[in-house]
Amino acid sequence: MSVAAWGRRAFLLLPAAFVTLFLILPLAFTFLVSFWKRSMLGMRPGFVFANYAEFLTGTRLTVLGRSFVISAEATLIGLLIAYPIAYFLARKVRPRATRLVLLLFTVPFLVNYIIRTFAWTYLLGRTGPVNALLIAAGLTRGPVDWLLFSPFSVLIGMISSYMPFMIFPLWISIAGIDRRLIEASWMLGAPPARTFLRVALPLSLPGIFAAVIFSFVGCFGESAVPVILGGVGYQLIGNEITSTLDVLNYPLAAAMSSVVTAAMLALIGVWYLAFDLRSFLGKILSRRSSP
Amino acid sequence: MRRAGAARASLWAGIAAILLMLYLPLLPPVLFSIAPEHAGEGPVTLRWYGEIWESELLSGAIATSLEAGAIVAVVTPVLSLAAAMAIRELRMPRLLLLLVLLPLFVPGVSMGLATAFFFRILGIAPSLVTIAMVQTLWALPFATLVVLTAMSSFDPVYLEAAYMAGANRWRAFRDIELPLIRPGISGAATFSLILSFNETIRTSIVQGPLNTVQTYIWSTYREVGLSPSLYALMTLLIAVTFALVGAYLLRAPREA
Repeated sequence: MSVAAWGRRAFLLLPAAFVTLFLILPLAFTFLVSFWKRSMLGMRPGFVFANYAEFLTGTRLTVLGRSFVISAEATLIGLLIAYPIAYFLARKVRPRATRLVLLLFTVPFLVNYIIRTFAWTYLLGRTGPVNALLIAAGLTRGPVDWLLFSPFSVLIGMISSYMPFMIFPLWISIAGIDRRLIEASWMLGAPPARTFLRVALPLSLPGIFAAVIFSFVGCFGESAVPVILGGVGYQLIGNEITSTLDVLNYPLAAAMSSVVTAAMLALIGVWYLAFDLRSFLGKILSRRSSP
Repeated sequence: MRRAGAARASLWAGIAAILLMLYLPLLPPVLFSIAPEHAGEGPVTLRWYGEIWESELLSGAIATSLEAGAIVAVVTPVLSLAAAMAIRELRMPRLLLLLVLLPLFVPGVSMGLATAFFFRILGIAPSLVTIAMVQTLWALPFATLVVLTAMSSFDPVYLEAAYMAGANRWRAFRDIELPLIRPGISGAATFSLILSFNETIRTSIVQGPLNTVQTYIWSTYREVGLSPSLYALMTLLIAVTFALVGAYLLRAPREA
């Protein structure tokens, strides 16, 4: 190969090298640190399971379970909201309107979710508009206390942070379904519900997986929402990690972070092995060239 | 068809309700940022915005945000262009795609922690460079998807034509493909800038002594709680985000 061809190849491999060097290696290193020992000024190399033992016993195990449950809830509710929207936009709406609606979902996603989460403390508070509305409607006599600083408000915060982005992979994969497959199912006499369950739903699985991984792993490691909306002492694994960092127990923080990373890798592994990632990007990668 | 029409209308109503739920949280910061402290100040006040410029800490944070944003908005589009071309041309496109999308799936706190450890081991002190690095990593998947979308509407037949007319690969890319996918690249730059301005958790772990506007808001909230000048900062960030999206839409109306 000529110098120019080598240069071109190096350029093309730059992003993969960047991610490997600054994300994969650091994550692997974090895993290594999770077996290190804690010392006065941070950490020193070693090979102990003490950090995992400390993590997996006592109250922190409850935190792990609570994180798992709330992430699963937020992901399921998010999917139940995002999927019908994505399906409707991909199959029943004209392209111009689809683009507009997708844009409307993009803008709040781009505004930092922490800023949006702060607003919920006002909206759901004792004197906030939601309670005012409930009282005015006569549904409750006094302000409802469990709206804020409760698992409920954390769930609302998680859904509004992660749901908007779930629409995109779902929309991409549903829009990429070959219309003729669905028409064939109609012509063979399958009713609409059966056509959806046997044809459209399975074909959109790569998008569902992408959306679920994004939301579940994001919520599982979420560290800001529980701090803002959970109230005093409400711990999920994400803010448990940051408070462990604050007391300089790096190996323990590394162990907790590695558990989150492991959950992510397991899900991504299934996704990668079960589907062609390109298929979830459907139309985006449809036209391929080979000069 | 009346039932189908009713179903359609209720779906649109549902979408409108969800959008309302997403846009509603953008309002309180704006309202609180102009609310006067005392009754005598009139209906609205801009004094909290004035206070932003008086605080040295804050103008420093704004400068850091702008510097990091500039680096991210230049580096990320270049990397994402390389990534999109690699996915199109090299073998193992699936693996490359997975690598480039990976930062999207790693939770912020894990990404921040891992990179912070890594920089520490390499002896790189937290600085503007580490902030820009982490934010570039975060923006890369989004930028790559934007560039890939732009590339999908480019017909490679044009490149064949350029080769037949005697152009080499670089010439064909620079003169034929690049002008046609430019909206995608400027879109990637806009997205990267917005994501950089709006990043908190990853940045807060590798920031060191510096502060961006976001990490300033976050650390002040954690130490003393929310205040009108924090709301003013949030409003500025919301306004900047909307302005950037608007500018992008005006420049590339067909790509919306």
